Amino acid sequence: MNGHPFYKGANLLSGSNRRSFLLKAGIITTGIMLNGCLRKLKPNTPYKNITGTIKGPNAKAGHILRDKLSLPVSTGTRQVKTLIIGSGISGLSAARYLKMQGHLDFELLELEDHVGGNAHSGKNNVSAYPLGAHYITIANNEDTLLTDFLQHCGVITGFENNLPVYNEYYLCFDPEERLLINGQWQEGLVPEFGLNSTDKFEVKKFFTLIEQFKMAKGNDGKYAFDIPIDNSSADDSFRALDRISFKTYLNQQKLTSKYLLWYVNYCCKDDYGQKIDKISAWAGLHYFASRRGKAANADANAVLTWPEGNGWLTKKLEADVSGHVLKKIMCYSISYNQQGKVVAGIYNITSGTTSTIVADNVIMATPQFINQRLLKEGVTRIMDYSSFNYSPWFIANITVNHLPQAKGMGLCWDNVAYDTPSVGYVNAGQQTINMVDEKRVLTWYLPLCDHEPRVARLAAYTRTYEQWMDIMIPELEYMHPGITEAIEHVECWIWGHGMIYPAVNYIWGPNRDAAKQPVNNTLFFAHTDLSGISIFEEAFHQGIRAAKQVLAIYGK
Amino acid sequence: MNKKLHALLLISVFVVATCGLIYELIAGTLASYLLGDSVTQFSTIIGAYLFSMGIGSWISKYFEKNIISWFIQLEILVGLVGGTSSTILFLVFESVASFRIILYSLVGITGVLVGLEIPLLMRILRDRYEFKDLVSKIFTFDYIGALLASIVFPLLLIPYLGLVKTSYMVGILNVGVALIVCISFKKEIKAAVYLQTSAILSMMALLVGFVYAGVITNFSESLTYADTIIYSKSTPYQRIILTKKGKVLRLFLNGNLQFSSDDEYRYHEALVHPGLQALPNAHNVLVMGGGDGLAVREILKYPNIQSVTLVDLDKGMTGLFKSNRMLLNLNKSSLLSPKVKVINADAFSWLRQDKKKFDFMVIDFPDPSNYSVGKLYTNSFYKLAKTALASGGIMVIQATSPYVAPKSFWTVDTTLRSVGFHTIPYHNNVPSFGEWGYIMATESLVYKKPTTFLPGMRFITKESLDLMFYFPKDMAKVKTEVNKLNNQVLVKYFEDEWSSVL
Ligand SMILES: Cc1cc2nc3c(=O)[nH]c(=O)nc-3n(C[C@H](O)[C@H](O)[C@H](O)COP(=O)(O)OP(=O)(O)OC[C@H]3O[C@@H](n4cnc5c(N)ncnc54)[C@H](O)[C@@H]3O)c2cc1C
Repeated sequence: MNGHPFYKGANLLSGSNRRSFLLKAGIITTGIMLNGCLRKLKPNTPYKNITGTIKGPNAKAGHILRDKLSLPVSTGTRQVKTLIIGSGISGLSAARYLKMQGHLDFELLELEDHVGGNAHSGKNNVSAYPLGAHYITIANNEDTLLTDFLQHCGVITGFENNLPVYNEYYLCFDPEERLLINGQWQEGLVPEFGLNSTDKFEVKKFFTLIEQFKMAKGNDGKYAFDIPIDNSSADDSFRALDRISFKTYLNQQKLTSKYLLWYVNYCCKDDYGQKIDKISAWAGLHYFASRRGKAANADANAVLTWPEGNGWLTKKLEADVSGHVLKKIMCYSISYNQQGKVVAGIYNITSGTTSTIVADNVIMATPQFINQRLLKEGVTRIMDYSSFNYSPWFIANITVNHLPQAKGMGLCWDNVAYDTPSVGYVNAGQQTINMVDEKRVLTWYLPLCDHEPRVARLAAYTRTYEQWMDIMIPELEYMHPGITEAIEHVECWIWGHGMIYPAVNYIWGPNRDAAKQPVNNTLFFAHTDLSGISIFEEAFHQGIRAAKQVLAIYGK
Repeated sequence: MNKKLHALLLISVFVVATCGLIYELIAGTLASYLLGDSVTQFSTIIGAYLFSMGIGSWISKYFEKNIISWFIQLEILVGLVGGTSSTILFLVFESVASFRIILYSLVGITGVLVGLEIPLLMRILRDRYEFKDLVSKIFTFDYIGALLASIVFPLLLIPYLGLVKTSYMVGILNVGVALIVCISFKKEIKAAVYLQTSAILSMMALLVGFVYAGVITNFSESLTYADTIIYSKSTPYQRIILTKKGKVLRLFLNGNLQFSSDDEYRYHEALVHPGLQALPNAHNVLVMGGGDGLAVREILKYPNIQSVTLVDLDKGMTGLFKSNRMLLNLNKSSLLSPKVKVINADAFSWLRQDKKKFDFMVIDFPDPSNYSVGKLYTNSFYKLAKTALASGGIMVIQATSPYVAPKSFWTVDTTLRSVGFHTIPYHNNVPSFGEWGYIMATESLVYKKPTTFLPGMRFITKESLDLMFYFPKDMAKVKTEVNKLNNQVLVKYFEDEWSSVL
């Protein structure tokens, strides 16, 4: 972008800008930003051997939307029947479904130079690695739309006794998980090593409870917890759980073992980026009780993963809709013209020009916090945008030239330390069939859940590379004493609005439902934030749901 | 003062003599370790050494002035050359051609330097003793030193310090003599400070070598191996260690015995011949693992074999077995045969890409003692292997001990069957390993037990084969799971079963 023409004339201290400036100042002075730096290993020791940068979603695009910068005038107008905005999994899935049904007059716009959204991945000379979503579990067997897709892209290779046979190169290789607890690495993430009998009893009690919920059905005959989430039972005896926090629920069940609470907290952080006090009991239980997938050649709930994580699935989806995707094209406004057609204002990130697309209908596969800024006057949705809460995340892809040995279980796919801020790291090279040599990429996940998302997000944007290292390295050193020396490169990635989290009364409250409603039967919505839980399966179905609504217009 | 000086010089004679003989012993031992055939090595080394000493003595007449300072410099030099000699030899051992040149040059240089010592010392002492006294004293101390050396070398130095540290220690003694002489004769020599500094610096260098000798041959490592380590190297994949005791060579990978040269024929005959002898029309053979070339040696005995492809991960391993003379003797230079193509690649990925078919396949991987190797024993791997097997072909897999680790052994069998192979498990006794197991896998049930074998077999006969196919009760088949990439049960069984033995 030479000259940043749209910056000219922009009031850099416009309303929202000034607010964030003040917040930034506040954060710096109160020291939240430096949270974690207090544990600095050796003061003034920069990590000499470590190279790397901080990246994240296109920041310029954020500016344009948030700070309402003035853009050049539109250079032209074209028509398209169906426009899809956003090529995350939900947008790709919508596009794929339209194409499958023979509806070919559509375009898919993506502001980044790659598709995939949160399922984006990276690569260096050691390995490919995820930058966000990194796995799915085997599909629930009734979910034929998903199993068909998985079969189509070779994840399911066939069926035996009616059970899918999963591609053995994609089923997570053993050993899968380990936990550093009480000074030793144990196999599996459910705490075991060093627990007394009361703790063990509570852990058992919790899982007995979960087994019941897994098979529980409501008075409408539907599973209490299902994927996609909207297939779950409407029975209020279950839905009532959405109106209390998971923490309250566990308390009511007299589950108080610190080990169990740690585990449940860990799971919620891992899936929702928040702790048990922030999310609803229904959502918390959904994580454990909604997966009933069975395979001919793997355990129930087995994990499917790739070096690049869900980036692999992204590539498969992209291949199915190639020719329809336009990258580095950002939608900055959606409105209606007099004929009732949808008018999308388009900004070309490469050339810095704008144009207009007039569409019969549009699928917004973008999160609601973006839609809030895109949808202009005349587009009415009766809902409260502030009920949509997003967890910020910090991801670090760490290239190490070896991993110091530790006591107990050796390196697994998922490696977690008890009672630490992060949710651990995954070994990007897990699925390699080679006898790996020592170099590896480890993907470290830190949900920024110690402060209100807005505060945590802004603090995250303000931190320097060294400050991130100061947060990350002491924890890594705790897991693997001496690892700092072995680190060659750390690529940091910040997801300011990583994923929706299912706050109390969000999933079955009024706003989620309202946000799903089409506008004028021309504007449709598909994004995981409309599910309230951010997983591949939901995105996949959100896309199909919106695509079906579009197809219905054409009687398909 | 004078008396003290005399004693000192005589002690120097003693130390110098001891050191001289130890260098000779080190060179001889190293040569016989590294090159094998100890009688020849020892006598040629001793011959070369004595001859060089003679040259040294002859040169000594050209030293005219400043004998003491010459002597000091000489001692420093002997210390440096002798002290580092075994390190140098260990480091260059891999490239055999230059190894001999370097070995004999070092022996030569040390010999010349040691040969200079006594004549120079005699000349230093010349004016202080009567000639007959001088000769008697010097030679007495010389021979006592030799006796001491010949006793402490095998009994104390080699077992406790190992060759490399011994060299450094002896080097330090030599430089020590230089230093003491230097200090004592300060007044009689020019440039005393210079000599003293260089002695101290050399001493420090040798001390560093002594301390870090562990990098070359690990002291703790040498304690864990019963035999003398003659070669050790860490490749990106594993630590290779070769030991020797008497005539017996043993190869260890990451501390696990791979073969012992005295009974490896039992293992390799059992691995190759039951299968290959049954395939008179076999032309193309694939060997995976087995970078030592010993299975290939057996395979090349069949005139019908046209090509052998060996896939081994580690270039360090195949390189060693292509170049070292002792090892070439053992594998009959099999890896250098024009019929053999060595590919250094990861077997799993290689198999996934390769589209050729083989009549006979030997899968000779290390035991499934960790998750990395465990992958090479999974149904996924065997499915790939199946696509590489020509119709009517046979694949044979080393499958750990059915006696010590029956569950592990039968897991390999179950896993092979799960991908549609017919299996023929068998076993034999390899003293270094114990009762060992193999499994032949075929696509159809066509295996015909061979009734005759090639001449020259040391173990296998028709009768021994019958015994090999029979599994007594204590090794009988047990029910196991299929080993898969996503469960790796084999690694767990293997660990359980072997940990209860060790
Ligand atoms: C750190 C992290 C880890 C995760 N791990 C997992 C996991 O292991 N497994 C799992 O199933 N899920 C995981 N998720 C959840 C993941 O978000 C979902 O699985 C899924 O990828 C979400 O897809 P989506 O289409 O709903 O949204 P997004 O990925 O948010 O897609 C939105 C797309 O719209 C584009 N866009 C936005 N605004 C515009 C605009 N104005 N114009 C044009 N394009 C625009 C964006 O660039 C983006 O590509 C993780 C999420 C995060 C943040």
